[in-house]
Amino acid sequence: MATHEARRWDVVGRLRTTVDAIEHLVGGLGTAVLALAALLWTAVTAVSCLVGVGVFLLPTVPRVVRAVADRERGRLSRWDGEVVGPEPVPAGFRAAVRDPAVRREVGWVGCHATAGFAVSLLGVSLPLYAVTDGTFPLWWYLLPPAEASDTLHLLPVRGPGDAFLVSLMGLGWLIVVVAVLPALARAQAWPGRHLLSPDPGTDLALRVAHLTATRAAALDAHTTELRRIERSLHDGTQNRMVAVTVLLGAARRALARDPASAAAVLDRAQDAAEQALTELRAVVRTILPPVLTDRSLPDALTALATACPVACQVDADVPDRCAASVEATVYFVVAEALTNIARHSGARHAAVSLRRQNDQLCVEITDDGKGGAAAVAGSGLAGIRRRVEAHDGAFALASPSGGPTTLTVSVPCGL
Amino acid sequence: MRIVIAEDDSLLREGLALLLRAESLDVVATTSNPEDFLVSVGEHRPDVAIVDVRMPPTHTDEGIVAAVEARKRQPGLAVLVLSAYVEQAFATDLLASGSARLGYLLKERVGRVQEFLDALHRVAGGGTAIDPEVVAQLLAQNRPDTRLSRLTPREHDVLALMAEGLGNTAIAERLVVTEGAVSKHIRSIFAKLDLAPDDQADRRVTAVLHYLEGGRR
Repeated sequence: MATHEARRWDVVGRLRTTVDAIEHLVGGLGTAVLALAALLWTAVTAVSCLVGVGVFLLPTVPRVVRAVADRERGRLSRWDGEVVGPEPVPAGFRAAVRDPAVRREVGWVGCHATAGFAVSLLGVSLPLYAVTDGTFPLWWYLLPPAEASDTLHLLPVRGPGDAFLVSLMGLGWLIVVVAVLPALARAQAWPGRHLLSPDPGTDLALRVAHLTATRAAALDAHTTELRRIERSLHDGTQNRMVAVTVLLGAARRALARDPASAAAVLDRAQDAAEQALTELRAVVRTILPPVLTDRSLPDALTALATACPVACQVDADVPDRCAASVEATVYFVVAEALTNIARHSGARHAAVSLRRQNDQLCVEITDDGKGGAAAVAGSGLAGIRRRVEAHDGAFALASPSGGPTTLTVSVPCGL
Repeated sequence: MRIVIAEDDSLLREGLALLLRAESLDVVATTSNPEDFLVSVGEHRPDVAIVDVRMPPTHTDEGIVAAVEARKRQPGLAVLVLSAYVEQAFATDLLASGSARLGYLLKERVGRVQEFLDALHRVAGGGTAIDPEVVAQLLAQNRPDTRLSRLTPREHDVLALMAEGLGNTAIAERLVVTEGAVSKHIRSIFAKLDLAPDDQADRRVTAVLHYLEGGRR
């Protein structure tokens, strides 16, 4: 019973695949016609070059080819898996001819305008045969007797018996359609999928360019961070310590002159020393919070939520540890986001959720505040974005006016 | 001695004022930013300005810019620059147009009150005060120059103190020797380094610093 049911569904699935294949082949016929036109245009340009006029037409050829190729890319992308287009056609005919992407497109135009066109015609004709022959008994008598036959004119029809035979031929065509069409559609798309997507070398080059950019951003973020630490140590802690030495110096002089006044100066010196310690602790916490190294990321996030003036719930479910830099990044993202929420959102509740999805550490911070947050230059959110992108991570912010605000960040775990 | 202080850290500013007032020096104004500092200098016409290098708004070299401007408006104003760190390159820039009435010290030197007051008086009196750290950096530079190695250890000490801007009397006190001995050392140093002897303290500092920088005069 089960197998019977399965087979029935399989037939439905098969029919659906076939209908899809017909649709793709019709679409392919459209781009094949365009490719044929582009091929003709190329030929006309080539011939007119011989008499000189074509030189002015030459620059149009790569553009026409690109336009047709882009249509095919769009068609293939809608079907199954995006076909990413290359960089724009280089200016100048010589540069365009040297561009490997343009060469591949020209190859595709040649292929699609001929073989692709033939496959399309075959793919569109076969279903027509099946329909024409299958329905033949219904309308054969309308035809002049001399012309009444099946689509391939193999069997002259002289009576209803012959017409029935033709309808059996239609059934045969239908079986051929179901069996062959999906493969035909795939065969027709194959050159496009291979010639119109970036070749592996280019893909790698793009990837390298992207990594170079993010690496520069990472180093930049690192330098900015070091500058911040240097400044808070110099202008904060060090100034406090200098004040301590100044006050101690003053106290020593006071002791020699008027011991009673020394106590007041020593009090101030002690205050300054205590301030120095407080500031030092604050600076250390912004470099790498001790709770992160001593405990875990969920513990550190809980500590942040507890310190946040807005009621905040933490839902962290990550059993394993990630690379220290990744955990630190997520920690600072949450710290900055919660600071923003407390300062600007007017929210009454916030929530932090931390999950590990495959090789990504994902964190989502939501609040019920007034929304309208944006990662404009110089803002805390822009800082978050820079940190995340430096780790090759993703940053998404949804904050419609009136709220709620959701910040989603995912960073590759690095393990 | 009338003093104006420019220091953005309030604790340090007040500590400095407290210390100087306890020494019966006349702190006529304390300011926390370059604009107020320039206004105060115009108003009080002080003898000395004590200026922090890093001040608002960018916390880079606003103090130096303000000090240069103040000296332009009041020629002869003595300026003692205080900094959280010292750089030899920065010092040589600062002293490019002469070292008279200029000082460049690490902030924490203030805690050694007597030495700080000496430096302050030296600068106010037309002399120079260069931080020992700057001098150490200059002396530590690796140069294909063997002349410095010809100095005896004691001459080396004297050279360093000269570079800081100390006069013969002060050098003698520091090294616990007689002034006559110091003069003898200094003549020997100038001979070994091929420098023309000069008894004028600030010109002497300039000569020594130029020598240490590598641009021998």
